[in-house]
Amino acid sequence: MRRKFADRITLTGLHLMSPLQYVRLIDTMARMSLRADASKDVLGYIWWVLEPLLFVAVFYVVFELILNSGRADYLVFLMCGKLAFIWFSKSVNQAANSIVANRGLIGRVNVTKTLFPLSVVQEGLYRQLAVFALLFAFLYVRGFPPDMTWVYLLPVIVVNYLMIVACALIGSCLVCMVRDFTMFISLGMTFLLFTSGVFWDVRSLGDPVKTDLVLAINPLAFILDAYRQVLMHNTAPDWWHLFLLGCGSVVLVLIVARVMRRASQYLALRALS
Amino acid sequence: MSADNREVMLTLDRVSLSYKSRRGSFDHGSHHVLDGVSLKVYEGETLGIIGRNGVGKSTLLRLIAGILSPTSGTVRQRPGKTASLLTIGLGFRPDLSGRDNAMLASMLQGATAKQARGYLEEIKEFSELGDSFEERVKTYSSGMLARLGFTTALKTHVDILLIDEVLSVGDAQFREKAEAAMKSRISGDQTVIFVSHVESQVRDICTRAVCLNRGAIVAEGEPGDVLGAYQALLN
Repeated sequence: MRRKFADRITLTGLHLMSPLQYVRLIDTMARMSLRADASKDVLGYIWWVLEPLLFVAVFYVVFELILNSGRADYLVFLMCGKLAFIWFSKSVNQAANSIVANRGLIGRVNVTKTLFPLSVVQEGLYRQLAVFALLFAFLYVRGFPPDMTWVYLLPVIVVNYLMIVACALIGSCLVCMVRDFTMFISLGMTFLLFTSGVFWDVRSLGDPVKTDLVLAINPLAFILDAYRQVLMHNTAPDWWHLFLLGCGSVVLVLIVARVMRRASQYLALRALS
Repeated sequence: MSADNREVMLTLDRVSLSYKSRRGSFDHGSHHVLDGVSLKVYEGETLGIIGRNGVGKSTLLRLIAGILSPTSGTVRQRPGKTASLLTIGLGFRPDLSGRDNAMLASMLQGATAKQARGYLEEIKEFSELGDSFEERVKTYSSGMLARLGFTTALKTHVDILLIDEVLSVGDAQFREKAEAAMKSRISGDQTVIFVSHVESQVRDICTRAVCLNRGAIVAEGEPGDVLGAYQALLN
């Protein structure tokens, strides 16, 4: 196996590309996709914020109007968690299928396969910026004005982004190798939706040990809670926990990106056959 | 100038490719696409590859372009050289416009965003797509796709141009223009590997040809002789 990779002395476009050029390519692909997507529907760019809002509305009807959550600030609570969760789940779901979806391009150019999941993640990031702006405006209207402590949000968003990148890369490889993983990944997202405290509060489980356990085991539950701590309670997240999550994600990203670079032709064969 | 005096751009040494593909649940079949192919490609030559459907011509181009790796054997390319594969339709993103696709294709071949933007007007003009250039590629006919594909590859700069059947599509007027552009580029330093079913094109454009059958090279040499061997195979 090792010999085979060493023997291959092909230099095609992407191998001659500088990292900056590679980033520009990811960005260009993301912007083109956004534009194409927006021109497809009547409501165009409005869907960026409308879709997540409709999801929030569905959850609000079920958990507040029907089941009566008993929280005065439930809508704000729900939005803080759900909007961040949708960012994660949608990006990872789409990125997971991205290598297979681009097999036409893959059959034509020798391209590092990280390009496809990364451009999907970039696309999601642009959408999410609009969603965050909407969230902040909504918080302001509902009596949660911007506060100096909102600066804490920056590292939370960065770590959330890194987690998305790590899961997107891993997901895209898995689906490329065995298509059945699409099912597992979308099922996994449903599982995470129920276990990450999107519509229930990790901190009101009644047992502090259980709360700590959920936050320790499920990185997404920790991140969603961190958004709420900052935005609703002006409290800093657990920095050490956040730092470890960030480092873990970076290590995963580096390892998977390296594997994908080395196994580029193998992934192409899997995508094409 | 005989091919042997030129520098070797690319060497394939006993290259084989096989893979497993799914036939049904838990059922895998093994495909042997190429079997021990050895080939040298020289700088500036136009090599024709002929053979029936499914004998591994496209796979051979993909190996040369570095898109796939051989299961055994080696593919060696001169360091620092780029190879780009030109195929009909495939590879375009249907939801993007012709302009976006051309931009993307140029950037994927190593052009910077600025360089790629610089190619766009030329591509629009040569491809004669007019306003359709701004429309989504999924509305294109196969002829329009071929025009876009051919022009994009023609206008961006690669050291080895791999052409898969692309000259066979499009109307007669564009095909003539494409062949002329191809010939003028070939007369320069461009190294071209050319897959085609059209015998007259292989005879006109290629300086050398190989005939593939069942994943192996069965004839190699002057285009006329190789076409003769191909005819014998068909019969």
